[in-house]
Amino acid sequence: MPMIEVQHLTKRYRDRTAIDGLSFTVNEGEILGFLGPNGAGKSTTMKILTGFLPPSEGTARVAGFDVFEQPLEVKRRIGYLPETPPLYLEMTVRGYLKFVASLKRLPGRGLKAEVDRVAGLTGVTDVMDRVIQNLSKGYKQRVGIAQALLGSPPVLILDEPTEGLDPAQRAEVRALIKGLAGKHTLILSTHILPEVTMTCEKVLIINQGKIVAYDEIRQLATVHGQAEDVSLEEIFIKLTAA
Amino acid sequence: MRTALAIARKELSIYFTTPWAYAVFTAMVAISSFFFMGLVQAFQQTQAWARSVGWNQLPPDMAAYRNLTDGVVVQLWGIILIITLFVAPFLSMRLFAEEKRNKTFELLMTTPVRPIELVLGKYLGGLGIISATLGLTLVFPLILSAFGASESGTVLEWPTVLLGYGGVLLWGATCMAVGMFISSLTESQMVAALLTFVVMLPWMLLRGLAQGVEEPLRSIIGYLSFDTQLQNLLRGVLDLKALVFFLSVILFSLLLTHRTVEAQRWA
Ligand SMILES: Nc1ncnc2c1ncn2[C@@H]1O[C@H](COP(=O)(O)OP(=O)(O)O)[C@@H](O)[C@H]1O
Ligand SMILES: [Mg+2]
Repeated sequence: MPMIEVQHLTKRYRDRTAIDGLSFTVNEGEILGFLGPNGAGKSTTMKILTGFLPPSEGTARVAGFDVFEQPLEVKRRIGYLPETPPLYLEMTVRGYLKFVASLKRLPGRGLKAEVDRVAGLTGVTDVMDRVIQNLSKGYKQRVGIAQALLGSPPVLILDEPTEGLDPAQRAEVRALIKGLAGKHTLILSTHILPEVTMTCEKVLIINQGKIVAYDEIRQLATVHGQAEDVSLEEIFIKLTAA
Repeated sequence: MRTALAIARKELSIYFTTPWAYAVFTAMVAISSFFFMGLVQAFQQTQAWARSVGWNQLPPDMAAYRNLTDGVVVQLWGIILIITLFVAPFLSMRLFAEEKRNKTFELLMTTPVRPIELVLGKYLGGLGIISATLGLTLVFPLILSAFGASESGTVLEWPTVLLGYGGVLLWGATCMAVGMFISSLTESQMVAALLTFVVMLPWMLLRGLAQGVEEPLRSIIGYLSFDTQLQNLLRGVLDLKALVFFLSVILFSLLLTHRTVEAQRWA
């Protein structure tokens, strides 16, 4: 069953076309890697899927609801990490997560347990009472992911979740995301190729707002690689060379 | 509604962690104390003068100094209005501008929060902080009633004092509503504060500015002036027209803020 359906999605910022006629579907439980160089239109697509921006043309549906016609139904089902983690720097991690939980209308009963659950998953349990401002970049990013996981939404949209992290932290976040597989339908964007091969089953490569490849990772190598041993890296560079 | 309250609570807790709130509290207390002492001194001098020559020898505009309510409190409220006009923009500026700058606006707009809940929550938080600021000034009538003396029984006419204070609160609520709307238009807190001030100050002085204008336009402009509307309330006259006027300005600002937030969906 398709959880996310995108058809002919186009977004223009004044005279600039950020994405141009994207169509793809993500089935329930799948992890889609959303790959493309900087400025390809990844964040724009995610902002439309989460109801933050309206599309200029085309439609997007999440769990059968149109993001523009029934935004509340869609927002109830999505956990979203924007490209800049949306943190209130003055708050403590616990205060922040409780606040987001109330924005998501999680019932007051069990709220504390839910906050503790996502904190445990993302490994922020030992900084719960620290002010977010004083946390390292890695911890801030994890708090951003924890926030998206609150309420266990069926769909997770993570915009460059490993951006700005050091290699060890990247590995941790990747492991965390892999652990989410199966329980959630997940779209994950990145401009770093190995990120996708390590975490995703399916990959969608966009360049300058257009889809240049959309396939399972195994397939991609056989379709675009002339030789058996061609690396995904070479395919990526070939496809995104403008 | 629970969501609106959660947003209001978050606003208040953030206000109390920022230096701005304390700067505003300090400014409010310091400036109004300064004027309060000046008013008390003028009051005592006039009273002493009246005792030596008799009230009927004094110019008629000195009559206000016959009691502490009209001689000090009502005038103090007038001054606090002006201070509020200057400090409220520093409180309202962050309401939406900061969320946009910090990208937390994206969180508010992608969680299942209705725009109306967001606007009400923000406004309630703003009302909380302006009430806290203005609440500090209640200390002045309390000081007077504790230490003041009067020829005629009670020191202060509390109904007049409180009605005037109600007018001050209403004014603070109006400043916050207009300031919140302007804050929703920009990412820059400084621009929001400045613009709020640029809107509120001439509006306050509209009556004076319209002196040279022909009738009937002058009466209309005079009616729209904050200054005109506040006069009766401050003197302790329950002026329903003024109440309706300010509530309309507040409601209109909330509607405009709501439109601006909704417009994000159409951007
Ligand atoms: N608010 C905006 N106004 C104008 N242009 C924008 C805006 N946001 C993004 N763009 C442009 O749209 C294109 C796609 O941006 P984005 O979706 O952020 O790409 P990515 O996330 O893949 O790096 C870029 O060329 C960017 O400059
Ligand atoms: Mg991006």
